[in-house]
Amino acid sequence: MRFKYGMLAPLIAVFVAVVGFPLLYALYLSFTDYKLTDRGAPDIVGIANYASTFTNASFWEAFGVTALYVVVAVGLELVIGLAIALSLQKQKWARDVTRSMLLAPMFITPIAVGLTFRFLLNDQIGAIPELLRGIGINYDFFGPGRALFTLAFIDVWQWTPFMVLLLLAGLESIPKQPLEAARVDGGGPWYIFRRITLPLLAPVLVVAILLRALDALKVFEYVYATTRGGPGTETQTIQYFTYQTGIQFFRLGEASSMAFVVLAVVLTVIVVAFRRLERNRSA
Amino acid sequence: MRRVSGLAIARIALLWAAAIFVLFPMIWIALASFKTPSQLNDPNLVFFAPTFASWENVLSSGILDAAGRSAIVGLTTVLISVVVGSSGAYVIAKYRAGGTATRFGMLAAQVLPPAVLVFPFLTMAYALRLNDTLVPVIFAHLSFVLPVVTWFLIGFFEAVPRSLEEQARVDGFSRFGAFWRVVLPQVLPGLGAAAIFGFTLSWNDMFYGLILAPGKAAILPVAIAGFNTFRGVQLGSMSAAILIAVIPVVIASFFIQRKLVQGISGGAVKS
Repeated sequence: MRFKYGMLAPLIAVFVAVVGFPLLYALYLSFTDYKLTDRGAPDIVGIANYASTFTNASFWEAFGVTALYVVVAVGLELVIGLAIALSLQKQKWARDVTRSMLLAPMFITPIAVGLTFRFLLNDQIGAIPELLRGIGINYDFFGPGRALFTLAFIDVWQWTPFMVLLLLAGLESIPKQPLEAARVDGGGPWYIFRRITLPLLAPVLVVAILLRALDALKVFEYVYATTRGGPGTETQTIQYFTYQTGIQFFRLGEASSMAFVVLAVVLTVIVVAFRRLERNRSA
Repeated sequence: MRRVSGLAIARIALLWAAAIFVLFPMIWIALASFKTPSQLNDPNLVFFAPTFASWENVLSSGILDAAGRSAIVGLTTVLISVVVGSSGAYVIAKYRAGGTATRFGMLAAQVLPPAVLVFPFLTMAYALRLNDTLVPVIFAHLSFVLPVVTWFLIGFFEAVPRSLEEQARVDGFSRFGAFWRVVLPQVLPGLGAAAIFGFTLSWNDMFYGLILAPGKAAILPVAIAGFNTFRGVQLGSMSAAILIAVIPVVIASFFIQRKLVQGISGGAVKS
């Protein structure tokens, strides 16, 4: 007993200090009118912050923007990632080099990725619009109606490798017998993929989608590096909006309440996802 | 037979396309770091006489100090995480300490939006007059590195067979001795992977650094972002700074990719 808890205690102590206490303190802040510019103790304002967050049209707009971003980015990452993972699985030539190279983007600091693409996709001096002009396409990547998809494209560049990493591991842990049995029975590649590979891969797929979606929800660096929320408020994501409320407008109480609303939504999504997963497993 | 070879061609074409897609931005940034400002305005330029002006400029701009601060934050964070995480993860994995609550807490902490925790860190830093120092940044980075490292280690410890410790206990090791001398060496490769991964997470994070230490104690990602806003865009220097930030972690990542999947999945998927 003494050994068990003696070993656990330092972990719990640090965890409470860096996560538990700040979390409770944030909850307290969300019920106050704390401003960074204030002196002295802030006033308790009850649920006023939550009320104004719930009625804040910009907040829900940012929510919608973020949701669209997550769906587009993670959807593409799933399809492309699965195709690349299937291709890599059969790759024999220069196997380790290919894998390491294709996985590299996920280890780069996102601000560097954002700035790189801001430069590369720039309308005047960017290499990619210039290449497109060479084949007769004029496309402004950061124009109205396009900027959010450009950000999703940047996300795809950086995080498809994460999908590949998980899906490849999932593919390699699939038992070989059902695949061979289907092949002996004359099943074509598409049939085998649809009826055998995909169902066996399902648990890994769900985990990969969930992890990516949760991370994509936090998108901040690409917005900060490229559009700063523009044009208009088209690319104002939830994390960027909270940052602006808290840091640029000093309204920490209100920003904290926003963060908790986001957290509540995220937890709901996770619980629903796990419920469905459990049900599928027992069915 | 024809359909299969068609698939093989599609497979190779896809991998080549992916390779070009991944490498092109990196190569372009590397080229840009050797261009003059006027050359940077020409998006067609591939062959040119390299200049080292951007590199000289960026190296004298204090970027290495920022990289040093990032390294201090990363190493401190990882050191604390590995020490308290490995002992904690061991008893969670082998003695079921803390029940499922601790285990769940480690997972749930990875879901917390950074915007929830950053404002408490900021107000506490102000109250203790530690704003714009590395202390709150280290605290903030611990909030996501510690859970990830612990989560990795729980999986790695669970993969160690029970009989190994039982044998060690029979051989006269104390409980701690069995952990320290017998089990820990078994998970050393996993521990190394978790440490490197935790370091890259800390090294790459900008959000906390931007809010908690935006000024004289700016860490590397914040310093890089500064090339974008301070005195207009300095593309050549920015490119060189990006390379300084990227090259160490990408090299380090090559060594941990095999262990990474096992860690992320909490030991569920082995590679």
